[in-house]
Amino acid sequence: MVKGNNNKRMSSKNSKGRSNSDNTTQRERKKRVKELLIQLGKDVYRDLDDGRFPELHIPSRSVSNIVYDKTLRQYILGRAKITRSSKNIRHLRSFTQLVWLAFFVDKLVNEGKTSTLRDVYYSSQAFDIDFEDQAESDHIITDLEALLSLSREDFNIYPEERSSIFGDLTIEYTVRGYEGRRLNLSDHPDGYLIGPSLSSAELVDTSAEMVIVVEKGGIFTRFVEENVHRRFKAIIVDTTGQAPRATRYLLKRLNTELRLPVHMLTDGDVYGEHIAMVIKSGSANAAHLRDLTVPDAKWLGVWASDIQKYRLPTDPMTEHDIKRCYELRQDPRYQSGIWKSELELFMKIKRKSELEAFAKYGLTKITDDYLPEKLEEAKSL
Amino acid sequence: MSSTSDSNNSLYSISNSRDSRAVTPRFSEISPSEFFYRNRDLAGFTNPSRALYMTVRELVENSLDACDLSLILPEIYVSIKAVDINEGEPRQYTVTVKDNGPGIDPDRVPLAFGKVLYGTKFTLRQSRGMFGLGATMAILYGQITTNRPATVSSIRERVAYQYTLMLDIQGNRPIVLNKSVYDSSKEHGLEVSITLVGDYSKAQQKIKDYIVQTALITPYADIVFEEPNDNMMTFNRIMDKMPSPPVEVRPHPAGIDVETLRRLIVNDSMSISYASKEKVMREMKSKEVRDILLIARERWGTLTHDTRTTLSLIALLDIPLDDIERIRIDKIDLVNWEIHYTRLLTNESNIAKLDGVEPFKSHIVSIAEGYTLVEFLARNFQRVGPNIARRFLEFAGFDPDKSIGMLTNDDIVRLADAMQRYSGFLPPDATCLSNIGEDALESSIRSMFKPEFVAVVQRPASAYSGFPFIVEAGLAYGGSIDSKGLRLYRFANKIPLLYDESNDVVWKVIEDIDWSRYKVKIEEMPMILVTHIYSTRIPYKTVGKEYVADRPEIEYELKNALRYLARRLSLHLSKKGSMAMAKKRLGLYAKYLPLIARFSMELGRADKEPRYRVLLRLGEQYEMEYSDGNTMDTDQEGDNSKGKDVAGM
Repeated sequence: MVKGNNNKRMSSKNSKGRSNSDNTTQRERKKRVKELLIQLGKDVYRDLDDGRFPELHIPSRSVSNIVYDKTLRQYILGRAKITRSSKNIRHLRSFTQLVWLAFFVDKLVNEGKTSTLRDVYYSSQAFDIDFEDQAESDHIITDLEALLSLSREDFNIYPEERSSIFGDLTIEYTVRGYEGRRLNLSDHPDGYLIGPSLSSAELVDTSAEMVIVVEKGGIFTRFVEENVHRRFKAIIVDTTGQAPRATRYLLKRLNTELRLPVHMLTDGDVYGEHIAMVIKSGSANAAHLRDLTVPDAKWLGVWASDIQKYRLPTDPMTEHDIKRCYELRQDPRYQSGIWKSELELFMKIKRKSELEAFAKYGLTKITDDYLPEKLEEAKSL
Repeated sequence: MSSTSDSNNSLYSISNSRDSRAVTPRFSEISPSEFFYRNRDLAGFTNPSRALYMTVRELVENSLDACDLSLILPEIYVSIKAVDINEGEPRQYTVTVKDNGPGIDPDRVPLAFGKVLYGTKFTLRQSRGMFGLGATMAILYGQITTNRPATVSSIRERVAYQYTLMLDIQGNRPIVLNKSVYDSSKEHGLEVSITLVGDYSKAQQKIKDYIVQTALITPYADIVFEEPNDNMMTFNRIMDKMPSPPVEVRPHPAGIDVETLRRLIVNDSMSISYASKEKVMREMKSKEVRDILLIARERWGTLTHDTRTTLSLIALLDIPLDDIERIRIDKIDLVNWEIHYTRLLTNESNIAKLDGVEPFKSHIVSIAEGYTLVEFLARNFQRVGPNIARRFLEFAGFDPDKSIGMLTNDDIVRLADAMQRYSGFLPPDATCLSNIGEDALESSIRSMFKPEFVAVVQRPASAYSGFPFIVEAGLAYGGSIDSKGLRLYRFANKIPLLYDESNDVVWKVIEDIDWSRYKVKIEEMPMILVTHIYSTRIPYKTVGKEYVADRPEIEYELKNALRYLARRLSLHLSKKGSMAMAKKRLGLYAKYLPLIARFSMELGRADKEPRYRVLLRLGEQYEMEYSDGNTMDTDQEGDNSKGKDVAGM
C-alpha cells in the first residue's frame, strides 16, 4: 500500500448543486436515492388516498426527444415528458410495474442487497406482477432511471461484473458488513472487479495522476506486469469491450472527485474508437442519465494513423465494420477533431489493428514506446 | 313449327317465293325429341350418375316452380329406390318426386310430359326449369335405358289422375299406356316417377349437396329426401313467407334475335282479337242489338279496334252479335277475298265473301295485312310505347305505318340488327323478378351454417342484353363453419349449381378481387360465400345449367357485391380483434389498483392502506366503456415501456 504523501489527492467533498454527481459522497448519494424512492411512494399514496388516479411524468426517451448537448458534450433528454396514468386502462399494467419496481428497489437498497436484471425479472413473479419477458422488466427499470434521474446501479441493480481496476487508490466501503473498511487497489496484482461494493465505495485518496483505460484484459495484465501504474502514476481500468455503466460512473468519479485525467487505449478499429467516444460522451440509450460521461477523456489510440505510423500488422475490415463506419459518420460527435479524421482514415485504409499487434515489435513495445509517446502527444490534444 | 307444313299459315307467312328457303325452319326435318335423344349430353344426361342427378333436379325444379307461382308453401318429397338392390352399379333406379303444388290440368298431362316443347312462347318469366324440356328429357332417358314407362299423377280437388306414359321419340308424341282416376287424400299436387339406369354411388354426394343447397335457397320449403338405403334427410321450412311469384313479361327489344323476331311477326299476324258482346254493347251505349251496325257506322271514329273488328265480322259474316263467341276465324284470304270460319257448336266450316259495306271491309283487310310496325312493337315488347316505337323506327329507317305483313326477309334482319344498336330503349323491367330477399337469405344461412358472422347484400337490378337480372350474395364466417378456406355455393334462379365451378363467372370474380386488401384470407379462413343470380334468362354456357357465362354486366354486379361483403367481414374481424383485447382487460383495475396501493403504502412508509375503493368503481366503469368500443383518450406514448432507443449508439 502506498503511503500517503503530499501528492495524494483527497476526494473533494464540496457538494455542488442539485446534480447527483460531482463531489457528493456515496453515502450522500445513497441517502438521496432512498429519499427519492420514498417520495415517489408518498406521492402515489396520497393520490390514491385522495381518490385520484395517481400518475407519473417520465421524461420521454423517444428519438425525437434525444438531443446532443454541445455544452455537456453528451446526449441528453429534451423537455418532453410522458404521463403514465393509472386511470388509463392501457397504462395500468406498466404503471403498476413501475411502482412495484420502486418498492422492490427500496427494499434492495435498505437491505443492502444487490440484484441483476435477471433477478428483478424473476423477483417480480413473487408479487404477481407478471412481466412478459425480461425485456419488459428491463424497460421498466430504464423507466425508473429516467423518472428519478438515477442509474440502476443507484438502485443496487448491477449487471455481472466484468471490468477491472488496479492502482494506488484507497477506497472505503459503504456496503453492509463492510462499512468503514478500507482497501488499496494495488494490493492484488490481478486487479479488482468493479462491482457493487467498489462502485459504491468512497474514494479516499490516491497517488495517481491519471487514469489509463484499456479495452482488453490482456493489455491490462501487461500493464500491471510492466508496472505502468508506478512508472506513469496511473490507475489502470480494463473495460473489457464497451464500458459498463458502473465502470463509466467510476471513471467519472475518478475524473471529478479525484481530478484525474482519463486516457483511453483501444484497439485500432471503428469499435475501439466508439468505445472511447462512449466513455467520453455517453450513449443515446443512457441519455436520461448524467453521471456517466467523462467529457474531457482523451483517446490516445490506437488511431488509424498509428497503424501506419507504427507499421502495425493489420486485418481487413469486415463489411460489418464498414457499415458501422458509415453509421457513425452521421453522429454529430464525429464531425470534428481526431474523431472525424481518424474515422475517415479507417474508412479509407479499410484495415484494423489490435492493441496486441504491438507485440510484433516486442512485448513491451506498447508500454515502453507507444504509451509514453502517446501520452506526450495527449498533452496537446 | 314450320310454316310450310301448316296450311293455315300460308297467307300469313312472311315469305314470298323469293325468300321461302330462308324462312323455312330447319327442324321440321328432325323432331325436337329426336334431336335431344341424339344429343342428350347437351341436356346434362351424359352418364348414369349425372342422369340420376339431372332427373332429381328437373323434377324438383318443376315442383318448386309450380308452388312458387301458386304461392303454395312447398312440401317436396324425393325418393330414389333401386329396382333390384342386388344388381351392381350402375343399375335401375326409380326416382319419385311428389309435391303439393297446384297440379297440372289432367288433360294436358300427356302433352306436358310426352312432347318436347320448343320455342312457342315469347314471353319470359324467371323460372328454375326451362319450360318442361327437362322433365321430358328425364322420361326420355329413362325410357331408352330401361324401356319402362313413367308415371305421372296430377291431383286436383282430392282427385288423382294417374297416367302411365312413354314417348314416341321420332314423332315427338306421348304414348299413354294407362290412365286411371282415384280419390286422393291430398288436396292438390303432382307426383312423377321415372325409372332409369343410374349410378347412385357416384351421384350420391352431388344429389345430397343439391338437396341441401336447395333447402338453403328455399327456406320456405319442407323437403324430404329418402335414399336407396332408406335413410331420410329432412329439411323443415324456417319461414312461412313466400316471395311474390315472378311475373311473366314481354321480351325486351335488346334481347331479341332475328329468328325470334320473325316468329313474333308470324305470331302476331295470326292473331285476331276482337271484343266480346258485352264490351261492344258498353261502347255502343246501346241496349238494342237491332240497327247496331247503323249506329256503328255513325260512331266508327269513337270505337276501339277490337270492337270494330267484332262489328266488322258480324257485318261481313252476317251473324248476330250474340254469335261472335260461337265462331272461330280460320283464315282471311286476301287473294280470293274470302273469310273462312267455323261454327264452334256444330263444327261446320263456312266461307263468307270479303266484300261489301265499308268501313267493315277495309277494317278486316287491314287486320289481314297485320298490324303496323308501331303497333307491332308496342304490343310485343316491354317498355315500348308508340313514342319510343316511332323514334326507334325512324332510327332504323322504317315507315312506322308499314304493316308487318309487308316486311321482307331482309327487312326483318335489318330490324333485328337495329334493335341491338338502338340505345334509346328504356332498361328492362326488373320488377318481374322474384328473389327471396336479404333477410330470408341471411336467416337461411344462419340456420344452416350457424356462423359467427353473416353479411348479405342485394345489388340493384341491372340488365344484360335486354334481360333484367339481380345479384344477391351472402358471406358467412366462423362459428360452426369448419372449412379451411372459402367454400362457394352458387345459385341461379333459386337452383344450386354444382358442377364446373371453376368455369363460372363467380369464380372469375373471386379471383379478380384482392382479398388481402380487406385482410381476408380466403385460403385459410372458415368462410362460406353464397351467390345468387336472378334473371328472366340466366346465361348458362350449356343446356346442362351448371355454370354461368361471364357477361360483363353480371361480373360488375358480382364484383361490387363481393367487395361489399369483404368490407363487412373485414370490419367484423378487426372489431373482433379489438374486442378480444378488450375482453382481456376486464378486471384490470380490480387486479392492479390493490397492488399499487400496497406498494405505495410500503414505499411511502404509511401504516395503513390508502382509500382507493372509489377508484375501483370508476375503473369498472372505464372498462365497460372501453369494451363497448369507446376508447379512452390516450397519449400513445404513455405506455412507453418499450422505449425507442437510438440505434446502437
